[in-house]
Amino acid sequence: MSAPLLLTVRDVHAGYDDLTVLRGLSLEVRAGEFVALVGPNGAGKSTLLKALAGLLPVTSGEINLDGERIDGLPPYAIAARGLTLIPEGRRLFGPLSVRENLELGAFLPKAHARREETLRTILRLFPILQDKHSAPARLLSGGEQQMLALARGLMARPRLLCLDDPFLGLARSVTDRFCQAVHAITSEGITILAAGQHVRRLLRLATRAYLLEAGQVALTGPGPALLEDPRLSQTLLELGTGAWQRPA
Amino acid sequence: MALGFSMILGVSRSLNLAHGDLVVLGGYVGYSLWAAAGLSPVLLLPVAALALAPAALVWDWLLKRTPEPKELSSLVLTFGLSLLLQTVMRAIWRGEYRLIAESSLGASLQLGTLALNRGRVLAAVAALAVVGLLWLALTRTRWGQAVRATSIDPQAAALVGINVDGARRSTFLLALGLSGATGVLFATLHYVHPAAGVELTLMAIVLSIWAGVGHLRSVLAAGLLLGMIEALTVTGWGPGWREPVVALMLLGSLLARSGGLARGHAH
Repeated sequence: MSAPLLLTVRDVHAGYDDLTVLRGLSLEVRAGEFVALVGPNGAGKSTLLKALAGLLPVTSGEINLDGERIDGLPPYAIAARGLTLIPEGRRLFGPLSVRENLELGAFLPKAHARREETLRTILRLFPILQDKHSAPARLLSGGEQQMLALARGLMARPRLLCLDDPFLGLARSVTDRFCQAVHAITSEGITILAAGQHVRRLLRLATRAYLLEAGQVALTGPGPALLEDPRLSQTLLELGTGAWQRPA
Repeated sequence: MALGFSMILGVSRSLNLAHGDLVVLGGYVGYSLWAAAGLSPVLLLPVAALALAPAALVWDWLLKRTPEPKELSSLVLTFGLSLLLQTVMRAIWRGEYRLIAESSLGASLQLGTLALNRGRVLAAVAALAVVGLLWLALTRTRWGQAVRATSIDPQAAALVGINVDGARRSTFLLALGLSGATGVLFATLHYVHPAAGVELTLMAIVLSIWAGVGHLRSVLAAGLLLGMIEALTVTGWGPGWREPVVALMLLGSLLARSGGLARGHAH
């Protein structure tokens, strides 16, 4: 835990028009970590990630990325500072080709300058994207689209990559490949903050995890240790989401 | 002109019912400068384009603030703007018919056995040049990449680092700039009057539906095709056939592709 702090979230309140979801949430992510966010539906996982990326306004509190305050900045300015969010539902540019989607991922000047090099690394991780590079993104299968969403996020060469429910609706075999890719990515020095419903899969991958409940941090610790903690299953079972029982 | 209309629809999901009126405004501005200062029409094009820049900023500002659903609320807003523009133009130019009757444009251009009106040739060349440049800008530049991504999914565009508001604003500036320049071309070929914009707006709407809403490439192709058929009709059968042929083509294509508007939205 001697790595420098990359992200600090302090006492953040945020939400939608009439609904405050995050109620004084605080957490931190150190450089090189894989941090998982788990918790029942409505606990604030997606809301936190959207607030980090600037898609939702932060009503109070502070978000710092590498020592620089980013709450209140527009999404493109946050992206330019090295935080990339791969949103829920992937949000690919459907009519554009796989290749064009990847190029758009490297839209920022810094990423653009190194896009050929990044592209080679990515196509080594996801050879399927090379085979389908001229196909429109919307014609890919669900798993391939998820790969493309991850690859597009990586094209930005982010310092912090935020993933919102990366396994949603994916087959086990696809998830495994996805996890391999994620491992390869972290070894290349990218920090990851991932939220999701698939608690077991996420916690096995994570170096550290936060359990969110009602817009606050309920529990934190190393991923596998959290998996053993009775309070985790209790929280998820009590709220009856079924996420815990679902075979991982 | 239909290009600008369709681009605005793409990036801001707004139907600009005042589009034709802005073209007419460009025509009037061009006419006044021509009558007062004797500027040549070629110079008038960029001047009229720049003259509509303030309008572009106002349109962008207003349409960004219209509530959801954008497609509907923008209709109400721009219908009001259309009436306002017509009234203002009537107050300034008194509803008179104006024509930029530049004598050099009326002269005919002899090409072998073909005699062409110079004004029409200028308009056609200008339109083709704009279509070509716009096509290059949209497919080959970072700006075009940003505009296309913004019209497909503004939120996803913002997440890859695109300044969505900037892309939207520059699209309005470009689209209304095109309207201003179109207005000058229009005024060299037809008389402009304050109510002339309604017809132009209809033309833009129909062309956009024809091409599929928000599909910039198709609008370029559709505009080009329509322009060519129009030109061939005029040279082949005479100018009297222009309007009926265009109207028939649009009607026919609408019947054939009745799902155009809905399909365009579904992407």
